[in-house]
Amino acid sequence: MSIIRVSRASIGLALGLSAMSGAAYAQDCTTKIGAVLPTSVDWGRPIAETAQFAVDQVNAAGGAAGCQIEMVLRDTQVDPKVGVDAAKALVDLEGVKVLLGAVSSGVSMPILTSVTVPSGVMQMSCCSSSTAFTGLSEEGKTNGLWYRTFATTGVQSAVGAKVAADKGYKSIAILYKNDDWGQDMARLIAADFAAVGVEVTASVAINDAQPNYRAEVTDALSGQPEALYLALYPAEGTAAVREWLSLGGTQNMILANSLKSDEFRDNVGLQYLGSALGTDTASPRSESADAFRAAYQDRFEAEPNGPGLANSYDAAMLALLAMEAAGKDASGADVAAAMSRVTDPAGTPVSADTAGFVAAKEVLAGGGTVMFQGATGDVRFDENGDVSAPAVIWSFSESGTEEIEYIPLSDVDAFIASLK
Amino acid sequence: MIGVISYLVFFATTASILAIAVLGLNLQWGNTGLFNGGVVAFFGAGAYATLILGGTAQAGHLGGYGIFYPLALLGGMVVAGLMAWIVGLLTLRLRHDYLAIATFGVAVAFENLMRNAEWLAGGAKGVRGFERPLRTALGDGFIYNLAFFAVVLLILILTYLFLQRIVVSPFGRLLRAIREDEEAAQSLGKNPARIRLIAFITGSVILGLAGGLYGTFYAFVSPQDVLPTLTFQIWAMLIVGGAGNNRGAIFGAFLIWGAWTASGWALSRFAPVEVQLYTGSVQFILIGSVIVGMLMWRPQGFLPEHLVVSHKGKTKRKQQGEY
Repeated sequence: MSIIRVSRASIGLALGLSAMSGAAYAQDCTTKIGAVLPTSVDWGRPIAETAQFAVDQVNAAGGAAGCQIEMVLRDTQVDPKVGVDAAKALVDLEGVKVLLGAVSSGVSMPILTSVTVPSGVMQMSCCSSSTAFTGLSEEGKTNGLWYRTFATTGVQSAVGAKVAADKGYKSIAILYKNDDWGQDMARLIAADFAAVGVEVTASVAINDAQPNYRAEVTDALSGQPEALYLALYPAEGTAAVREWLSLGGTQNMILANSLKSDEFRDNVGLQYLGSALGTDTASPRSESADAFRAAYQDRFEAEPNGPGLANSYDAAMLALLAMEAAGKDASGADVAAAMSRVTDPAGTPVSADTAGFVAAKEVLAGGGTVMFQGATGDVRFDENGDVSAPAVIWSFSESGTEEIEYIPLSDVDAFIASLK
Repeated sequence: MIGVISYLVFFATTASILAIAVLGLNLQWGNTGLFNGGVVAFFGAGAYATLILGGTAQAGHLGGYGIFYPLALLGGMVVAGLMAWIVGLLTLRLRHDYLAIATFGVAVAFENLMRNAEWLAGGAKGVRGFERPLRTALGDGFIYNLAFFAVVLLILILTYLFLQRIVVSPFGRLLRAIREDEEAAQSLGKNPARIRLIAFITGSVILGLAGGLYGTFYAFVSPQDVLPTLTFQIWAMLIVGGAGNNRGAIFGAFLIWGAWTASGWALSRFAPVEVQLYTGSVQFILIGSVIVGMLMWRPQGFLPEHLVVSHKGKTKRKQQGEY
């Protein structure tokens, strides 16, 4: 699906930057970090590319903790055994102290319980959403080594309910991906819809890779809902929505951030998505807000649309910032503990690019703290490694997506509180 | 250096657990000719049951019985055996590919049940909260993994010896007789249906044992652990190692799992940067090619079955020794 497209200009730029940094910081050491991501899956490869992109930016800023960073990437094949083995190999054979991954909760969890926690390695996932991690952390079994940049499903579902209430929909049907994320989403959003007075007429699970979804869609249509909520990924989302529209379903749709993808827009057709509104976590409104987007477009000649890209970038960036804050030869636990120094709401704001990393280095060297303004927003972890973020409502446009409404973190928190 | 040893212990543990599963399949396919296409269902039943029986209490689904570990593991085997008994009664009248399709369906049904029945085993989130046995005494690090490996290896050896005993016993000959010609066996007064069921259940109990150890090792199991991929992996191990030969089954497990992990490691280490992102796909191609090549040039596997024609006296003993 996606091909690495690196323009000559950006290669030149990267070379130029690394030459500059080579002069500024004399380094001959390399620190390895590990990444276990499903690169053999179509949507997994861009996630890995984005993580590498963050590493390249940090190297252009002279590396982290005094050394250049090498990201050793292993494929999970979305198979827990393979992912766990790859993680163990990275920890034992490559000696990594920081591990990025995995995507699926079903892979991240056994890595956490059998590799990273026993070995004292910090694990940072871009995309694992299962509420099981919060539970594990509350039981004190993660030793503070676990973080994830995927905003809890709570934010996503609350904003979805807000859209339905604002639009005045009276009834809605839910189609959700039948995995841990989808099941969580379906449960949460059903409760949130009920809280704002929208009737849920049906909540139907969509399994991956079925030849068609006629039975499921018919089921969802039977209650004659005014709107449709979709917590699906692009491939099965496309198939289900085509079926839905061809059977006369409404074009009033609310989409989870997983459908914020050009593939979905192109395959369904923009003309059918006029009344579709999406929800997502958002970038902060500051001068550095577009840094990630701009740099990403420079590098990949495409907008960062697709599940998990911004999360993957932030995961890699935060891990490297924490490494910088923890200093040279820090243990995994030290790096994990240093996370609070780079996500401090009272700290100096730093942008999500090479310049931001350089600025962060100076502040951290002086003993200060920074607030990383990432691609997914002002990232702030709670004691369980979960992240909350401001939200945005978006719709599809000719060039990709455009923002309809921005909801600051305080409003998100207030709205979630009002639902309770 | 300690890192390499630590990794090898980890690798050997996973490979040994898979080898136990391959031994279970070998009893069914290699010795009795039962095409079990639903390996993962029995493996998964063992894993789920062990964790549910031996784990700590979890909100929202069954579990938290905190049973003494060996009993929990035994419970996993019993659940796998019970499932095999029911599935066997329903499907063992089927032959060859029909049996394969029916059992494959059972495995898919099992995965979907686990994915959707949240009250039973947590749905897609899976079962967690399992305390690995003796963790407080041995800690969490290398010593624990070493001790766990020793236990798994011991269980693998015991399973191997048990199956070897079966193979050379009259019962083993009966299994092969049924595999080769069921009607001939029946004409000698044997009851093939019953024997097939016994072999199917025994093999499935061994698969459940492997599953239980797998769940213990990761302290976690989710529907992602019971996808059809695992069935194919275990079959590939048996075919490459040599169906009908217990040593072949173990060898195949270590070889295929070794190739699977080593190719991933080698590609991540030595492949040029542009290829890095495609290593996952390249790995699938490599492994697929090995299996296809194997089937073309050595379909009997690396360590093929020794068919022993019953001899008397010295010859027989000698041949058994070679086994």
